[in-house]
Amino acid sequence: MSAYTVHQGQLPGLFRLWAKLYKVHVPVQTAPGFYDFAPWEPDTEIAWDYDLTVNPLKRHLLPPREDLVVFDTRTYEARGVFQAPQQLLFGVHPYDLRAIAQLDQLMELGSPDRNYRRRRENTVIFALDPLRVAPDAFWSTLGAGRADIGFDLYWTKIGPAMFFVEVGTARGEELLLAAGEVERAGAAQHEAARRTREDTRRRADGHGLKFPWQELPRVMAKAWDAGIWREKSSMCLACGSCNLVCPTCYCFDMREELDESLGKGRRWRQWDACMLPAFAQVAGGHNFRGKHLDRYRHRYFRKGKYIFDLIGEPGCVGCGRCIKACTARIANPLAVFNRLWEEYA
Amino acid sequence: MTDAANPYLPLAATVVDVVDETPAIKTLRMTLDDPQARAAFTYRPGQVVQLSVYGVGEATFVLNSTPTRPEFLQCSVMRAGEVTEALHGLRAGDQVGLRGPLGNAFPLDALRGRDVLLVAGGIGMAPLRTLLLYMLDTRADFGAIRLIYGARGPRDMAYAAELDQWADAPGVELTLTVDAPDPGWTHRTGLIPDVLRELSPPARGAVAVTCGPPIMIRFTVQALRELGFADTDIVTTLERRMKCGIGLCGRCNIGPRYVCVDGPVFTLAELGELPPEL
Amino acid sequence: MTDKPKIAFFDFAGCEGDQLQVANLEEKLLDLLEHVELVSFREVMTGHADDYDIAFVEGSITRPEDEERVRGIRARAKILVALGACAHIGGVNCMKNFMDEAVYREHVYGHKARSYPTGPARPVSAVVPVDAAVPGCPIDANEFLRVTKQLLLGMRPTLPEYPVCVECKMAGNVCRYERGGLCLGIITRGGCGACCVTEGAQCWGCRGLAPGANLDAARYVMQDRAGFSRTQVQDLMRMYLGHTTAPL
Repeated sequence: MSAYTVHQGQLPGLFRLWAKLYKVHVPVQTAPGFYDFAPWEPDTEIAWDYDLTVNPLKRHLLPPREDLVVFDTRTYEARGVFQAPQQLLFGVHPYDLRAIAQLDQLMELGSPDRNYRRRRENTVIFALDPLRVAPDAFWSTLGAGRADIGFDLYWTKIGPAMFFVEVGTARGEELLLAAGEVERAGAAQHEAARRTREDTRRRADGHGLKFPWQELPRVMAKAWDAGIWREKSSMCLACGSCNLVCPTCYCFDMREELDESLGKGRRWRQWDACMLPAFAQVAGGHNFRGKHLDRYRHRYFRKGKYIFDLIGEPGCVGCGRCIKACTARIANPLAVFNRLWEEYA
Repeated sequence: MTDAANPYLPLAATVVDVVDETPAIKTLRMTLDDPQARAAFTYRPGQVVQLSVYGVGEATFVLNSTPTRPEFLQCSVMRAGEVTEALHGLRAGDQVGLRGPLGNAFPLDALRGRDVLLVAGGIGMAPLRTLLLYMLDTRADFGAIRLIYGARGPRDMAYAAELDQWADAPGVELTLTVDAPDPGWTHRTGLIPDVLRELSPPARGAVAVTCGPPIMIRFTVQALRELGFADTDIVTTLERRMKCGIGLCGRCNIGPRYVCVDGPVFTLAELGELPPEL
Repeated sequence: MTDKPKIAFFDFAGCEGDQLQVANLEEKLLDLLEHVELVSFREVMTGHADDYDIAFVEGSITRPEDEERVRGIRARAKILVALGACAHIGGVNCMKNFMDEAVYREHVYGHKARSYPTGPARPVSAVVPVDAAVPGCPIDANEFLRVTKQLLLGMRPTLPEYPVCVECKMAGNVCRYERGGLCLGIITRGGCGACCVTEGAQCWGCRGLAPGANLDAARYVMQDRAGFSRTQVQDLMRMYLGHTTAPL
């Protein structure tokens, strides 16, 4: 795979060019200690050393609310709605890359979701190796510290003003070379990138699962009646925050509304959450997961076992966002999985 | 990309007939408006569709017509919420949106060549109706057909106009039962599992298919096991609220399965491998 | 209904801010008015009729004559909708319920206090059955439209049952608690798009408690985790949620 060396000075030109073709999103500091992806502007300061963004990138692929169908109540004509902006996500950490790759897989499992697929096809992804590790992160021990697929370019900062850029796709390479010649990476840059990654990984490995992630479904299979479910869930606010900030949670509700003419309307999907009490309720009122405990357990089983059973990897990439987002401090896949390992391994 | 390939896009259908089955159940007969879509529409007994009343919403119903009689598509709607209420308000000539067919179907291959015991409670007769009619139309492929159909009272029994026909069909043994009989009732009185035990149909060489309210299924399954039916030979359907219908939105998720794709038909053996969230 | 349904607006103790929200809908309101007949709406018209199908009632019930009047409205209306926090949950008026009656009457009416009997402020539903609600202080105009359209379609309007956090996360906000703040979004019924947090403020609970809100957990979060005092939490809860069990 080819790799290039890019200097800081080349970036403004490249970004200006990319921004003509795509809506470019980059990591920025939004407040001291808080980072998020924001649209790139010529004066945007990219947070090269961000540890974690408040929001995962799924909103760019599966927006919080997305129209699916418009219809006419008088003729019963209906039409699919597709919005798929050309976008470039720059600076995606590998765990978020893994999450997107997982969404790609899961959204293809049923009848392919064309709304998702169109957005995905119009999305360029430039990955970025993390330089810092968020306090709650445990992605390294989930095998999500490095991704081999799912990026067009993969950037590693190897000096104060120098980047090692690995090519993932022809589209990525084309975009990298679009503003003029770029130097090919030599052995020294390859080595510098390796050292940077090694350095990050060493720090990341210190905090995480106490067992190989491949063991997760086996442990979960024994943990249906574990005490931790009741213990943790009694303080659950049923607010869905853990689901909504999760880069791999993708459940959605479908709703519709007529316009004021009452003759036309639209049906859309919007983010939903299995931690909300109404999620598993059916017509007539029966609820298949009526208690906090049922829902709390379901979420961890889905992350640790159900998704694993479907695609061979856990439905958690270890970003730690749910741990931060849970005001009651009960959402914590790392603590839950480690505890179950101790009890049921 | 053609709209036809968009799984979220409903097809327009027109209601051609409405049957008042019971105070709570109406049956809608529909045909797809677009002749091409009508010709292309195929389904297997047990599959479901999403019916839309635009502006109100979408809900899931089993197609209880049979693909062997393609004149129309039929769904029976029990009043339970906004969408079913709106569907009850439809008359012949009104339109609906229809997505599907969705989900799996009854395991016809496993049923062929064997006796089939159908046990239906209330609206649970709807999915069994499609299976029954399909078997009647391909009668030689199946052994004896026994149908036990129970409802709260005689007035709550859907498909009343068809029951005589079913009883007279070749090789069909029909038993009707209600919890609360009225003076004219000439059939059995009693709960379905009790009637099942009393009749004690042979389990050997037979497959049982049971649909109905969750509580009825629970006790029926108990009775079926007592009669010697193995879990692999007991087939049932799961009720879950479906939204997307294509295995994504998570509403009907149970364990690694999605009822809208992997179901609604499951054997008891398959259900045994799922988390106990039934 | 062969004729267009007749709609009327009424106000009790409140600021009429919710009716103003409706009036501000302008174009959309005009579109909607194609389907209804407006028989009483002080914000945009004069005149009044006592014949109506849907009554939107704003404000809380606090004087003896309020009770009588709202019973009359209930008797005449086929559908009664509580409009805004005061009508829906009692709202800010209920703050006085935690004060001594003589004190607030003196404060409001001065030496004439004796001629103006008032009682505890209550939501409309404490006096007469309410068919639907448009929550909020003020209401969300789009939610008003949705509820009204659903009523016109013969549906029973439903409100989101999840807390404000859901829409706050959809909006991509940083949690107030992560910034050391206090916020009632964790127990307040969603549907507002978390507009206050999105605009940099906090949630004050104006849409009422989310059904099944876990108050024990909320107190743990606000007091034990975030470190706010019992009084601070109680003051915040009494601002809008005075009529519920939350502030007790």
